[in-house]
Amino acid sequence: MTVALSLAASPRRRRLPAALPWLLIAPSVLLLLALILFPLVFALKNSFYFWNLQMSPVPMGYIGADNYRMAFSASFFLGALRTTVLMTLVGTAVEFLLGLGIALLLLRNLRGMRLTRVLLIMPTTIAPIVVGFLFRYMYDPNGGLIPWLLQSAGIPLPAAGLLGSSSTALWAVLFADVWQWTPFFAIVLYAALLAVPEDVLEAARLDGASAFKLLTHIKLPLIRKTALIVVMLRFMQLFNTFDLVVVLTKGGPGASTRTLGYSLYQAGLVDFNIGLASAMTWLIVIVVNAIIGLFVFFAFRDLD
Amino acid sequence: MKTVSAFRVSRRSLMKSGAALAGAAALGGTFPNIVRAQGSGTLRVLLAGDPFYYAIEGLKDQFQQETGITLEIEAISTEALQARLTSSFISNEPDADVISVDQMWLGQYLESKWILPLNEFIKADSDTAIDDFIPEVLYSMNTWRGQVGTLPVASYGQMVLYRKDFVDEAGIKIPEDGSWTWSDYLDTVKALHGKSFGGTTMSGTVLAGQQPAPVVHMFTQLAASMGTRWFKSFPTGSAWDFTPTVDSPENREALKLFLELYKLSPAESVGYNWFDAGMRFAKGDIGMFYWWTPYAYLCRKDGYMTGKDSVVADKLGIVRLPKAPDHHQVVSLGGHSLGIAGNTGKREAAWQFVKWATSAKTQKAMALYDKYGYQFSDFARPSLYADPDLLKIYPYLPGQIGDIRAGNGKIVRPPCPVYTTLEGIYGLNLNKVLTGAMTPEACLSETSTFFETILKGNFLIPYQQASYDDTLEATKALMASLA
Repeated sequence: MTVALSLAASPRRRRLPAALPWLLIAPSVLLLLALILFPLVFALKNSFYFWNLQMSPVPMGYIGADNYRMAFSASFFLGALRTTVLMTLVGTAVEFLLGLGIALLLLRNLRGMRLTRVLLIMPTTIAPIVVGFLFRYMYDPNGGLIPWLLQSAGIPLPAAGLLGSSSTALWAVLFADVWQWTPFFAIVLYAALLAVPEDVLEAARLDGASAFKLLTHIKLPLIRKTALIVVMLRFMQLFNTFDLVVVLTKGGPGASTRTLGYSLYQAGLVDFNIGLASAMTWLIVIVVNAIIGLFVFFAFRDLD
Repeated sequence: MKTVSAFRVSRRSLMKSGAALAGAAALGGTFPNIVRAQGSGTLRVLLAGDPFYYAIEGLKDQFQQETGITLEIEAISTEALQARLTSSFISNEPDADVISVDQMWLGQYLESKWILPLNEFIKADSDTAIDDFIPEVLYSMNTWRGQVGTLPVASYGQMVLYRKDFVDEAGIKIPEDGSWTWSDYLDTVKALHGKSFGGTTMSGTVLAGQQPAPVVHMFTQLAASMGTRWFKSFPTGSAWDFTPTVDSPENREALKLFLELYKLSPAESVGYNWFDAGMRFAKGDIGMFYWWTPYAYLCRKDGYMTGKDSVVADKLGIVRLPKAPDHHQVVSLGGHSLGIAGNTGKREAAWQFVKWATSAKTQKAMALYDKYGYQFSDFARPSLYADPDLLKIYPYLPGQIGDIRAGNGKIVRPPCPVYTTLEGIYGLNLNKVLTGAMTPEACLSETSTFFETILKGNFLIPYQQASYDDTLEATKALMASLA
């Protein structure tokens, strides 16, 4: 039956015009390009105009690269860039390491692991804004769970609370992010580890490889592609952190938790400086793409 | 879902509409405006989610009965409101017919034609009773270049709230009539700070230190009262000059006093927003603080619209703000106003709602609305401040109107173009002072420099457009001409 069908279909397939597949996917490609390119081109154009909605509903004139100059001259942009890079690097690294640890634990058939797997996915399903409110209550210096736990453990807390002190606020925001997104790493890495062939591991064990060697020489190299992609995705997400900052600190105290995402929101949706916000958008696009480009170049160069 | 349910015709609504129509037809020429508004269908109202919204939402059936217009009311945060409205007007996609307009957006909205000027509506409709508005409120919140752009639905001043039983036990007398200075205020806070009361160690005061808006709202009250002005000449003066004047001796003195107050507050108040500061006072471990007048009723409850009394509910003292010697008292005025969206197709129905919500009758009903306890005393009409029914519930009204009459929102937080950008810088630097990252001197010097850069960058220094000598007298004259 199958043979008959394929024989009957093959002459017809040969008659199809070569351009048909291109024509079929063209609408989707064009739509995607339009959706990606239009906002970027629109923002690029606006970034060279003086357009502040507090002054006028329409652009007030071409000002060259002044918006870019203003973004760099205002200390908040470079400060926000530093905060964002620090938060992104530390956050991604911590979430990856903790996620890997949890994934390795999940591989062991310990008691309660099924339930743990189900529970693990829950934080990632909560909207970041809700996580922000949850942690705001948990960080409350007057009866919040986290200060109480830390104080019970004899760890001194700043008088202004974890969110009120410039030295701890960023880490407090990051902790909320780590709580939410570590399970994402854990689940993805766990799935990747399940695909590591058992016979390879068995052979290594017979050769006397320790658990650490199994991890570093077999498991990690075999899940490398998955790990790199998940690290890259989280890096980009963390780079645009906004919701948690708005709910937990509004960028404060001072500018200690002011991320690029928050600065962009401030410029575009609070100050309504569309020109400046567009210039900042492009600077962020360039920075993120440069970092991701370097990451892809180095991380994937010896992978096929 | 809302839209679908709004159009559902029940027997009761049919009878109500029939009765309203019949009544309106019978009364005919007596209520021409009501008749004109009939058949306008559903009116979409987009409000800021402050206490006044709950009262309006609770009373909306009355409006529907009176006019036959169905209301779809939505309330969101002020920031979300501004973003949503701007997006709607820029894209010319009509959103709501009646909108909350903050006093800081008024000039931008009127000049961009995003809201309709109300002068002609008011002139044509004597029911507005424009002469029964407090001129200082209309001046501060609703007028721009000789036009009334909005009408006030909730008007706030600032007052001092204190815990009576604690202050009495400490043997401190607080003048009810505002005959005290900011240095008396600081001394009182110092005297209260650290004292044990009912087993609790009390804080002298509490601040709203969160950047940018809360800390600016709180600090600028103190600063303006001590003589600080933001610009060389705005909004009064025949030629506007936006050269910043925030780096002044009086503002440095005010900021040092503010920092002193922070040291007598819970340290975490560096991150407190408006409501956090109010609710901290409501928890009972704060001696006194000054803040927006809605906290006179909000602090009586243990949370936002919970309906449950706080521990300070029956121990609340409310008095007028301190002054600075040698300076004319200036009180911050704020709140919420209603405007008619420029792109609405239901102008007449929208005006009916604005008029209804800001009328003395509705405002009184809002104050008597008791779903969450009495949670509205933000009147812009002097007649309501003398209403015996309202005085029974809100005994602090005489002091409140005293402070509101000393109000000038255009001095305390001037509604200049790019105000929110300036507020962002100011708020950030004030917050840095509280965290110790900046000295008061460095804060004001840097703020002034940033102000100048921003104002020059937005072509406001030098100011080349037509100025308007925006005085309280001009508003009074405008009110007289519209009455």
